[in-house]
Amino acid sequence: MIKLFSLKQQKKDGESAPKTGNQKKASAAQLRITKDINELNLPKTCNTEFPDPDDLLTFKLIICPDEGFYRGGRFIFSFKVGPNYPHEPPKVKCETPVYHPNIDLEGNVCLNILREDWKPVLTINSIVYGLQYLFLEPNPEDPLNKEAAEVLQNNRRLFEQNVQKAMRGGYVGSVYFERCLK
Amino acid sequence: MKVTIRSWTGVATWRWVANDDNCGICRMAFDGCCPDCKLPGDDCPLVWGQCSHCFHIHCIMKWLNSQQVQHLCPMCRQEWKFKE
Repeated sequence: MIKLFSLKQQKKDGESAPKTGNQKKASAAQLRITKDINELNLPKTCNTEFPDPDDLLTFKLIICPDEGFYRGGRFIFSFKVGPNYPHEPPKVKCETPVYHPNIDLEGNVCLNILREDWKPVLTINSIVYGLQYLFLEPNPEDPLNKEAAEVLQNNRRLFEQNVQKAMRGGYVGSVYFERCLK
Repeated sequence: MKVTIRSWTGVATWRWVANDDNCGICRMAFDGCCPDCKLPGDDCPLVWGQCSHCFHIHCIMKWLNSQQVQHLCPMCRQEWKFKE
């Protein structure tokens, strides 16, 4: 009888040990981002990179627009998904210096669904499409880079030339842009 | 032939009747539970808004509590009112 009890106890110990040992319970944010990433349906102009494949909360998105002002460029965005996701949007920054009315020189991005219009039914895919749209239709209203916005509003030809200059690598006004053509 | 039933065991299944399979907020199945719960069913119920959209109660409450100004449905942005 004693033996039987100790056997039972051993079995119990064996069962509980691996649970705490090798699989930590995934957080709500991790569960949700896993689904987002699995269902990611990227346009052909976009790619993702995961520096640590075990960490889906930190990754990069690379956009290579194939039409519009920014055609031929290559722009890298960093995504940081916080523990409150999807109740809070991911933090997205543009790592490539870009001459764009809605992206400032520190890489802050002005996209409504990244701020005031975020809602938890949106996904990473929605943000990807939002960012891609910014390159197709830069929006001079409510700008982060006011100079670029003014040029876009008053002289589209000059704006186009400035974008080209910046993407080839060079100065627009007093600001230097690194080359980001593919 | 006469059959006498000596004993029987009833088995029932249940599921939520919702217009979708998954909660739009956590993306977990409605017949499962939200990520903060362990057991589906009465412990993690669904709620409907007057706009007809439906979520795990814990998911929508967390979202509504995080909104300071106005309570909007995360699906359609109409004002969120619980359906009676």
